[in-house]
Amino acid sequence: MATVETRKISKFYTHEQAAVDGIDLFIPEGEFIVFLGPSGCGKTTLLRMIAGLEHPTAGDVLIDDRVVTALAPRDRNIAMVFQSYALYPHMSVFDNIAFPLRARQFAKAEIPGKVRWAAEMFGIARFLERKPRELSGGERQRVALARALVREPQVFLLDEPLSNLDAKLRTSARDELQQFQRRIGTTTIYVTHDQVEAMGLGDRVVVLSQGKVRQVGKPLEVYDEPADTFVAGFLGSPPMNLIDRGSAILGFRPEHFLPIEARETGNDAVRFTFRVTRVEYLGADRLVYGMLEGGAGEAKVLSRLPSTVPLPVQLGERHEFVIGRRDLKFFDRQTGLRTAPIPL
Amino acid sequence: MTALASHAAAPTGARSRLRRLADSERFLAWALLAPAVVFIVALVGFPFVLALLYSVTNVTVGTQSASFVGLAKFRQAMESPAFWGAVRNTFLFTLVSQALVIVLAGTLARLLMMEFRGKWFVRLLILLPWVAPISLGSIGWLWIFDSIYSVINWTLRHIGIFGPETWPIWLGQPTLAMASIITVHVWRMLPLAAIIMLAGFSGIPKDIHDAAAIDGAGFWRRELQIILPLVLPIVLVAVLFGIVFTATDMIVIFIITRGGPFDSTQVLASLAYYTGIDGGDLAEGAAISLFLFPLLVAIAYLMLRLARRTEVT
Amino acid sequence: MSEQKTRGVTRRTFVKAATAAGLAAGLGPFVIPRRAQAAKTLKILQWNHFVPGYDKWFNNTYIKEWGEKNDTQVIVDNVGLVTLNSRAAAEVSAQKGHDLFMFLWPPPVYEDQVIDHAEIYQECQRRYGKPIDLAVRSTYNPKTRKYYGFSDSYVPDPVNYRKDLWDDVGMAPDTWDDIREGGRKIKQKHKIPVGIGLSAEIDTGMAMRAIMYSHGSSVQDAEGNLVLNSPQTRECLKFVKALFEETMTPEVLAWDASSNNRMILAGKGSLVLNAISVTREAENKKMPIADQIWLAKAAKGPVRRIGLEHVMDVYTIWKFAANIEGAKKFLVDYIGNFRQGFLNSEFYNFPCFPSRVPDIKQLLAKDSKAKPANKYAVLTDVLDWATNVGYPGYANAAIDEVFSTWVLNTMFAKAATGATSPEEALSEAEAACKRIWAKWKEKKMI
Repeated sequence: MATVETRKISKFYTHEQAAVDGIDLFIPEGEFIVFLGPSGCGKTTLLRMIAGLEHPTAGDVLIDDRVVTALAPRDRNIAMVFQSYALYPHMSVFDNIAFPLRARQFAKAEIPGKVRWAAEMFGIARFLERKPRELSGGERQRVALARALVREPQVFLLDEPLSNLDAKLRTSARDELQQFQRRIGTTTIYVTHDQVEAMGLGDRVVVLSQGKVRQVGKPLEVYDEPADTFVAGFLGSPPMNLIDRGSAILGFRPEHFLPIEARETGNDAVRFTFRVTRVEYLGADRLVYGMLEGGAGEAKVLSRLPSTVPLPVQLGERHEFVIGRRDLKFFDRQTGLRTAPIPL
Repeated sequence: MTALASHAAAPTGARSRLRRLADSERFLAWALLAPAVVFIVALVGFPFVLALLYSVTNVTVGTQSASFVGLAKFRQAMESPAFWGAVRNTFLFTLVSQALVIVLAGTLARLLMMEFRGKWFVRLLILLPWVAPISLGSIGWLWIFDSIYSVINWTLRHIGIFGPETWPIWLGQPTLAMASIITVHVWRMLPLAAIIMLAGFSGIPKDIHDAAAIDGAGFWRRELQIILPLVLPIVLVAVLFGIVFTATDMIVIFIITRGGPFDSTQVLASLAYYTGIDGGDLAEGAAISLFLFPLLVAIAYLMLRLARRTEVT
Repeated sequence: MSEQKTRGVTRRTFVKAATAAGLAAGLGPFVIPRRAQAAKTLKILQWNHFVPGYDKWFNNTYIKEWGEKNDTQVIVDNVGLVTLNSRAAAEVSAQKGHDLFMFLWPPPVYEDQVIDHAEIYQECQRRYGKPIDLAVRSTYNPKTRKYYGFSDSYVPDPVNYRKDLWDDVGMAPDTWDDIREGGRKIKQKHKIPVGIGLSAEIDTGMAMRAIMYSHGSSVQDAEGNLVLNSPQTRECLKFVKALFEETMTPEVLAWDASSNNRMILAGKGSLVLNAISVTREAENKKMPIADQIWLAKAAKGPVRRIGLEHVMDVYTIWKFAANIEGAKKFLVDYIGNFRQGFLNSEFYNFPCFPSRVPDIKQLLAKDSKAKPANKYAVLTDVLDWATNVGYPGYANAAIDEVFSTWVLNTMFAKAATGATSPEEALSEAEAACKRIWAKWKEKKMI
């Protein structure tokens, strides 16, 4: 177990465009941290620099307070699971899992026991003699995890390990992954573009965009208190409504935007006139599309209503909707950063 | 607009038939394959059948009529020590040059995978021997090995590696002559093998290399336990091509040594030519040239099977 | 063989051939067949002559004149020497090709495919007198009593030696023993070796036979019986081994037919056996060494002075030729005009009907390019010391296969280098000859 730190780390592939642009991060021992961002945001490059697979253009990587920037991946005592799993296709599951042990010159006698331990940890002990191509996607993913675990590294690096699984499998795999990490307590860095995974897995989430860190925080913090319009617009499904209100941008989550009947009104609520244009039924929820009227002109927004809340309005009609005052977020028009609330 | 519409609605008969044919996968497959089939039948199949027929008759270059003699021509060929010398030389020539080709092509392919300035130019240069006519290249080599004007000897003498008395006759001593034709052949086969292997190496996903690096594999472990097994199927294909090309090649020998000195570089293909065309005994020439056929078929079968077995997903 | 064989392999020919092939491939579909201007067509295939002037005269002047007189369009295709055999095989197998096909050696193996050329000999003899024996022995099969070709000319194969070097050791290469001793002395003193090939090529084949015949050894006797295994052949093997060890270097094992030309013209050889192409090339290129290369008659052995022809022109007319009568007439007329051929080949081609160059002695005695002017006079009595492949018998199919598959070249090279003992080399060669003899006997060709 170890801490991981990056100091002003950058990666330039061309002179103009930085893939990773001066990131400072500190990851304490045993934390499960998620790098989240759209594709091309630099999250994988950052991970690969921590792994030692890419050399930073500037800055340093520290593992356990030791600068490892110049070290080869194998000298960093890390393990990595790839999106494609990168199993060695010509080797049996046993040999795949044993490979890191053999490469590290473990005593021959130790190897079978350790392989079995890792395989049992992921419930794949009965596949040890098979070749990767004879396994299902989920089984392969477990083999990849077992191979990463088997030599008990200081840090786990996981690069979108669940994205090749189907949706159902992904949910259970997520759960198992987290339980497993809690059990062994190894510092884990997890890269994903999927906010559900990020929310569900991470002790903390690092939101990245265009090579820069936009926000670091616990999943709920990041969700509830987005640091800027990017985070606000990236997290949540559907994301936060962002509307132009003069010098500021006003943001609120669709689930906080409710018909006036559904909420007890008081001083802490702000009222809006909402013209409904479309309703989408999603089973447990409804998405209500429409236009915000009055004040500083119209704006398109949506509301997300649980199916338990009645919708007292027909298509094309206007209705009063409210938002709790503390659920309203304000952002600077120029920088996109959070600002203090302004009077509406 | 109306014109367009009517056109679309009722295409002319011939055109629609053509279009239907073009849509029929079976017809299209045959139409596209036909030139290749004709080519193979005319230039490979026909001569091969002819060689089979010739080898069991007593046909000569000067006769049109010939009688069936069974395997007499094969027996005749096998009675001569020159034939067995040629068999031995063929094996030596093939095995040594293939071994060198594989090692060098592997190295070359790895070098070509690296990123460096002017890579396209280096790739072009490497491909050149394969693209250039073999006779042109071989004539160039003939001058390189020339007993009087040898470029190699001249260079080595001028940079001081050879003393004034050292002047190896590359094509005049059996070992050097064999080494020379192997050199030329390696030079010739290298580009194809390197390109095939480059394809093999490029086919290994980057993640696998990364995983091996993370798992702590050193150079040899990565080469021998990861990369080699993964490129093996494609390497086998390259080797198979190489063996067939090498074992049946006579151009290099025909131009460089003509089998000499005293038959020490005579291979089956060149012996077949000298016996069949220059010596006039077409039948025996055909018999000699067919001698390796069953062996090559067996090698091809084994290698393709092996390649299939080691195939990985 | 001189430059001519080189041409098979040199850059010049290669580039020519490659260009031609490229053109043919590229333009093939667009080439319009030549319009027949005359009533008849005569198609001739022959080699690219070593003396470029000869082809120029033959292709541009001679055939045009002959064609006009005979209302025939004559087409000549010149090919590289090494491709002659495969071209012939291709024409036979297609049963289609040229009306006149010229080989540079006797082609007995095609006997079944060609007309009997006796008639041409008879007509020439009637008009121009007897042909030389060498011509008959290179084109006649006594077993079937058929002339399988017609020889217009042959090329002498004298000794070419460096006069300065041989003078320096006070010797001249008159006998094979002289060559061995003088060659040794020159090699010791000047580090310049003798250059007699021991390789799979035509010049070696000729040189080894010259040594054998002059030592009383031969592959067959006058009746065509195999007599290779003889004490005389053993003598020859020992002699060649000594000659190789004392006067030469291993380079001769690697040679092609032009290597000896290059060697002596580069000043790196004291003596070679070759046609006069060597001295002609030196003269035409105005090389300073030209004056130092002199010619001598074929060397004398213990039995007699004898050598080979260097190449033998043999024209054949396929049975399937389209214009057989025209081809016959062309040959008869060509012999009638042979003096022009002799002059335009710069004395390279010697007449098979000597009466056609009656002043040959005077011409040879005073050459315009040579220094001294009588350098070529040694060739005057060439017929006394030049014979055919197959001597003392005829050039037959078995002799041809022995020649073309380099059986004797290999035998001598093995013995000379010590790769095998002379005895083993001989028995291997004899076994090969026996196989070849049996084969052609069975075909009733010998």
